[in-house]
Formats: sequence, C-alpha cells, structure tokens
Amino acid sequence: MKKFILKRLLISVVLLFFVSLIIYAIMRCMPTSFVENQARALSTRPGAKSYQEWVAQLNAQYGLDVGVLQGYLRWASKAVRLDFGDSWYWNQPILEKFKNVIWYSFALGLATFILEIIIAVPLGIAAARKQYSLTDYTVTVIALIGISLPSFFFATILKYIFSIKLGWFDLSGTVSRMHQSMTPMQQFWDIAKHMVLPIITITVVSIGSLMRYVRANMLEVLNSDYIRTARAKGLSENKVINHHAFRNTLIPIVTLLGGSLPGLFSGAMITEQLFQIPGIGYTSYVCVMQGDIPFVMFYLVFLAALTLLGNLIADILYAAVDPRVRVG
Amino acid sequence: MSDTEKKTEKEEKMTLDDAARVRVLSPGMMVLKRFLQNRLAIVGIVIIVCMFLFAFLGGVLVPYSQSEVFYTTEVMLKDYAGTTVIDQYQFVNAPDKELPKDIYSKTIMAATKKDYAFESRSGGYYGISPVGDEVYIVYSLTPENGLFWKQQEFKDAADAGKNIFEKDGELYLFNAFTERPDFYKAEEIAVGSMRSFTAYSSDTRLSYEFCREALIAGANNAGSFKADGTEYQLNAGDSGELIYINGEEYAFVSPMNFNPVVSGTYLSPAYKMTALEAIEAGEESFTYPDNDGTEVTYILQNKNGQYLIRRNQETKVIDKYASPSKEHIFGTDGNGMDLLTRLMYGGRISLLIGFVVIAIEVTIGTILGGIAGFFGGWIDNLLMRLVDVVYCIPSMPLYLILGSIMDWYQAPATARIYLLCVVMAVIGWVGIARIVRGQILSLREQEFMIAAEATGISVRRRIFKHLIPNVVPQLIVYASMGLGEVILAEATLSYLGLGIKYPAASWGSIINAVNDSYVMTNYLFVWVPAGFFILLTVLAFNFIGDGLRDAFDPRMKR
Repeated sequence: MKKFILKRLLISVVLLFFVSLIIYAIMRCMPTSFVENQARALSTRPGAKSYQEWVAQLNAQYGLDVGVLQGYLRWASKAVRLDFGDSWYWNQPILEKFKNVIWYSFALGLATFILEIIIAVPLGIAAARKQYSLTDYTVTVIALIGISLPSFFFATILKYIFSIKLGWFDLSGTVSRMHQSMTPMQQFWDIAKHMVLPIITITVVSIGSLMRYVRANMLEVLNSDYIRTARAKGLSENKVINHHAFRNTLIPIVTLLGGSLPGLFSGAMITEQLFQIPGIGYTSYVCVMQGDIPFVMFYLVFLAALTLLGNLIADILYAAVDPRVRVG
Repeated sequence: MSDTEKKTEKEEKMTLDDAARVRVLSPGMMVLKRFLQNRLAIVGIVIIVCMFLFAFLGGVLVPYSQSEVFYTTEVMLKDYAGTTVIDQYQFVNAPDKELPKDIYSKTIMAATKKDYAFESRSGGYYGISPVGDEVYIVYSLTPENGLFWKQQEFKDAADAGKNIFEKDGELYLFNAFTERPDFYKAEEIAVGSMRSFTAYSSDTRLSYEFCREALIAGANNAGSFKADGTEYQLNAGDSGELIYINGEEYAFVSPMNFNPVVSGTYLSPAYKMTALEAIEAGEESFTYPDNDGTEVTYILQNKNGQYLIRRNQETKVIDKYASPSKEHIFGTDGNGMDLLTRLMYGGRISLLIGFVVIAIEVTIGTILGGIAGFFGGWIDNLLMRLVDVVYCIPSMPLYLILGSIMDWYQAPATARIYLLCVVMAVIGWVGIARIVRGQILSLREQEFMIAAEATGISVRRRIFKHLIPNVVPQLIVYASMGLGEVILAEATLSYLGLGIKYPAASWGSIINAVNDSYVMTNYLFVWVPAGFFILLTVLAFNFIGDGLRDAFDPRMKR
C-alpha cells in the first residue's frame, strides 16, 4: 500500500511539473497591460525614469525578461519553497492574500458539499429503487435540469426573486451595511445569510451529476447477483436495500466524494464573481481581468494540484474501501 | 421484480409462430426501438429539432439582420429659439460702408459720456449723432480745422439738440454741446439702435434707408415715414413697432433679439410678437400655429434675462429596451436590436460551436485513445500521462485568460469564435480519449478480436472495422452530453463578455445585459428568454444522451 501511494505521489509530482510548465507558457501569452500601465504611471512621476526604462525594469523585476523555459525554472525553483512572489494587483504576498480569501471559498464549498450529499444520495437511491417510476423520472429530470442550468442565469433568477422582489437577501457581498455594529453572533448570521443564495446556486448546478452517479451505481448493484440471492433468500426489501445494496453502492460514492474533497478549496469562480464573494475564485477572476500574472499562475497551479490530489485520494480510497481491488 | 415475472409469463404464453416472436430486430433497430420508447429522449429530440429550425430557418425567415439597429420617434422637449433683450447697439450699415470692430463699446461710451466723437483702435475718427431715444447715426469723421462755433448753422443745430449740421453741401459734426466743441467733417456710414428688424416675408431685404428712417420715426413717435420713395405707416405697440406699407404688414421692429436654435428656421414677426407679448405678460407658455395651422405650445424659460423657447418635438432615437410588440416579438436590447433575431443568430453560434467542438474532440480523442488502447505498452503510458496533464489544466480560468488575451489583441468576432472552438476542443478531448481507450482495452481481449487476428486481417481494418464500431455507442452518449457542456461553457464565457462579442450574438452575450442591475430589474424580457433557450437546449442534449445510454446499454434495465 505504501509503495502504491509513493508511486502515485511521484507520478503526480511529475504531472504537476508538466502542467505548471504548460500553464506558465500560457500565462506568458497574457497581455502585460499591467506592467505597461504601471510603467506609464511610474514614468509620469516628477523626475522619474522614462517609460521604456520602467518597462524594462519592471519586466526584469517580474521575471518577464527571460525566455519561457528559463522563466519557468526560475518560477518553479521558488515555488517549491512555497515562495510564489507578490500579487501585482493586490500588492501583497500571494500566500497572504490566499490565506485571507480561501476560507470564504471553503465555507461555500463545504456547505454545498454537505447539502449535495444530504439531497443527492437519498434521491439517487430512491430513483434507482423504482426505475422508470414517476419518482425516477422526476429525479432524472431534476438532476438533468440542474446539470443544464447556466449558473449565471440561475443566480440571476435567484437574485431577481429573492433579492429584488422579496428583499430577503442582499444582492451581493458578504456583509450588510450595519455589520460593524453587530455582536459576533449577529455578524456570523449576517455572513451566513449572504451565503444562502450562492450556496443554493452551486448546489443546484452541481447536484445533478452526483444524483445520477448514485442512481447509476445503485442500479448496477441492484442488478448484481448477490442482490438476487438476497431476495431469493426471502429477505425483506428494506433489508436488501439498506444492508446489501446500499453498502455496496457506497464504494464508488465514497471514492467519488473523497476524490472531490480537495475541490472544496478550489472556489467557484463564476458564482463567487456573480455574488461578489471575496473567495479565491472571485479574487482570481479579478486578477485574470487585471492581468495579475503571478496570482493567476498560482491559482491555476493550485487548481491543478487539487485535481491531482483528488485523483490520488480517490485511488487510495478505492483500494482501501473495496477489498476486491488489489494494489499492485 | 414483479416486472420480470410478468415478462416471463408473457413469453410462456407465446406460441412458436407468434408474430412477435418471429420478428427479430437487428441490434441497431433494437436500440432505436428502446430509444423511441424513452419519453424524455423524444422530448429532447423535439426540442433540438425546434431549436435548429428556430436558429437556422428562423434566421433566414426573419426580416431583420442580427445587427440591425431600430429607431423610434420620441416626443422630447427641445430648444426651439432663444430671445435676449437687446442691451448692445445693433448697427445697420449703409451700403458699402464698414464699421470699426470696437464700434459697440465706443458707441456706449460716447453715448454715456455725451462725447460724440471718438477715435477707434484701428485709427480713424468716428462720431455718433443722436436722433432719438437710443438711436444714433454713425459717421466717419475727418478732423476739421475750421472754426465753426460762430457759424449760424452750428448755433441752430445746438439749439435743436443736434450735433450735426450742414454747411456748403458738407456735413459737419461736433463732439459735444459746449461753447467750443471740436468740429469734424462727417460721412454717414451706419445707424445704431437697440432694436432688431424682422421682415414679414422671409425674402424681403430691408434697405439701409428703410431701417434708418424707421428707427428715427420710431424713436420720435412719428406715425409714418418715407424711405426709398415709399410711404410707410408705423404703429408702435408694447412689444415693438409694426410697419405697414399701404395697410399691409411689412416689417417688425422689436427690442428683443430672436435666435432660432436650428439655423435657417424663419421666425415670423407675428410669431415674435406673440412670444414678446407672452414674455411681457410674464406667462410661461404660449401657442402659435405652425405652417400646417395646428396650434403648437411653446414653453418659455427665463434664464438670467434670456428667454429660452422650447417646444415638444418628435426626435428619432434608438429604440432601446422596447417592450415586446408586434414588430419585435421579444422586444429590443440595449443597442436597439431585435431580440428575436439575435436569439436566432445567437442560437446558430451556440449550436454550431457545440457541434464543431465535439467533432474536434471526438476526432482527437478517438485517434489518441484508440492508439493508446490498441497498442498498449509505453505508447499507452505516454498518451495517458498526456491525458492526465491536459485533464489537470483548469478549463474555466484558462478560457477566461484566453478571452482576455483575445481582447488584448482585439481579435475580430469570427476569429474569436474559431479560436474558442479550437481551445475548448483541445482542453476537452481527454474525456473521450479515456473512454475510447478503456473500451478498446476491454474489447481487445474478447474472443471476436482474437478471431479477427487469427483470420489475418490488417491492423487498420481490425481497428476501424471491429473495434471502433463497438466504441461508437459510448461515444455518441458522451458526445451528446458533452454538447450540452460545451454550449454551457460558451454561454458562460460570452456572459462574462469574453466569448462571442458584439455585433455577433450568442445566448450568453444576450444575458450579459443583466450586469446592469436596472436591466435585470426592469427588462426581464431581455435576459429571461435567452436563459431559457440555453437551459432548454442543454437539457435536450442531456435528455437525448441519457436516452441513448439507456438504449445502448440494456443491462441497466431490470
């Protein structure tokens, strides 16, 4: 088992190297308007150097003066020591900014994750138990609508109904106007209230795939021989479902959920942007728009690392949960 | 469970020559039959067909183009004319005479100081001679050394209150009513007053002599005067003097200056009189018939002694956010373009991008996945690591970055569409490659492949005739679901303003209007239809994909 994990880890590191190299190459294509704007601003100061000189100096400072490969190695040698440099736009160390914003994204991610499990697993199983029944059709349609909903459209509708027409929630942001004068408990509820619409949006948009996954796996389990055997033994339907089928269907589900745990940190770029939640997704969105290369670079590599970590966890869990899978 | 029991019962009841038993369907027909039995899949097919008709046929049938801007007429209060009380001398030049530039200020100075001769800045002497209240005749002067103060003509003129006299056929002007003023030889060049002239018919040119005589007569309250050999009658009113010729209105002299906002507009004396009367009476509006005889209401606004005359005027404006109507079934957007047309053309782009991207994805994915699965070994290893690498690249941020790069280079709308397709396909092919490889790996070990190998068929034939057809079902399922995803991704990008750009339309870019919260709140018809079109299309593709999966894979059916 140890050997297996070690091997997978090594492969992941190699993959991450190549992924970050590709990302770096793409990032270098990004418009350097930020550097140029800054150089222009600096060169207009009294007694300042010329614009050209500032551009050259800033490019050197930001490591944009060397070739892609050389620049990447320079970046990577710092990155392995967790030194990602300073964000241009936020004007502070990237990791510091990251620490400030990641918890918003994590809170959003965790809440949706829990909601998804609570809603999707029972519904998926219910749909599978009575295939082609009204329940199944309803669940299928709901799941597919969720998958098909453009998040920005759904969020806008939610905003229109709950913020504008009913006035229950604020349109965007994380705190209301009177936040500073509230007690800590009130402040918590205030923030929680602002998270309701984003959480609903992400949950509805992403719940469909889990629901369908649960249904498909449950169907497979219900079609297997041991379920037929259990029924043949004369076990009650409840016992068959709850003891024999459910436990077996948990294997792929736990694997999937375990694999998506790192994803809790990845942030929801579009939804955070729509609701102006200052999480990692929104922060990065702003950085993309402003041409803040170091931060976007960091975010993309961070996402890639999360994906790799998710795969790793899923593989390990798969091996750990299902004794039939032999680790080789 | 009960279902299976029923089925076996039914089969038992059949006889050997039962038609249902004899009829055997080919595998393809079986799939089709199962697919058609799926109600959701049929709904999906219907929606997709409708969408295609709407986007491609509708775009042809609709009379507008996607970037046609519509205009509407709107009644707006617009400035019509301005009036000012004349507080500076207005001069009417005698034929072929010119006035110095500083004549205005010099005249005022001379009139207040009662020193009627002055030297202009450009040199040259000028003088004025009062002929009535605020009416002066301007002369060009030459200093005269002759001493005239003992002359009878001078004394008579001074007694009559005139600073001009004639002697020996020459005009002489003196500068002040004193015992010993300076004398100048004078030549008449203009008449100055604080009044403006308007002729009754727009093509009448008022002669200098007419103006001069009219002003003098007006200032002296004379009932008639003669100019150019014609007799004119003069009628002084509150707001100015009306001049008649043989009882017919000829011209109007007013203490107010009228300036039409649109140059070339002719303001008739009658109109001016009405306006002046209203101003005198302190009213805020007045009516006056226009050329067609309909009464038009004009609104008067006083701004520091200036009066602004405004009226409601029909103006051509862009038909922004027009509510749904007969001409525009879905209304118009913020650029005054027909939303129905834009929805149609946007549908074309959304559907087209979906199909193009999926086609590229399937091509790359099938080739690379097929090679990896069939050959195995180090090729498989290498290709799968490549798949892993591409799989790790976060797609949405990457699209955003590419969008901003295209913004930076100001890529034209069509180039953006093509580039978007290619990039989405290059990121998206890995899923298909994985499916194809997995499927081929398991198929490769099956007996029919061993048999194929044993018969000595070429590798190419084995791959394309025996392996690929067995992968197709899964490919179709994946592709139809992937179509929905691609359309969603494109819509999201366009919504953020980084995908399809104006003037080309896409469903996402139509919803982009909600970034203006006023539009979001008040113009639902702008963004709701586009959202539902996206939802319906993606949903339909998912329905079809779902139905196909069930149809291809009957194992799932209990």
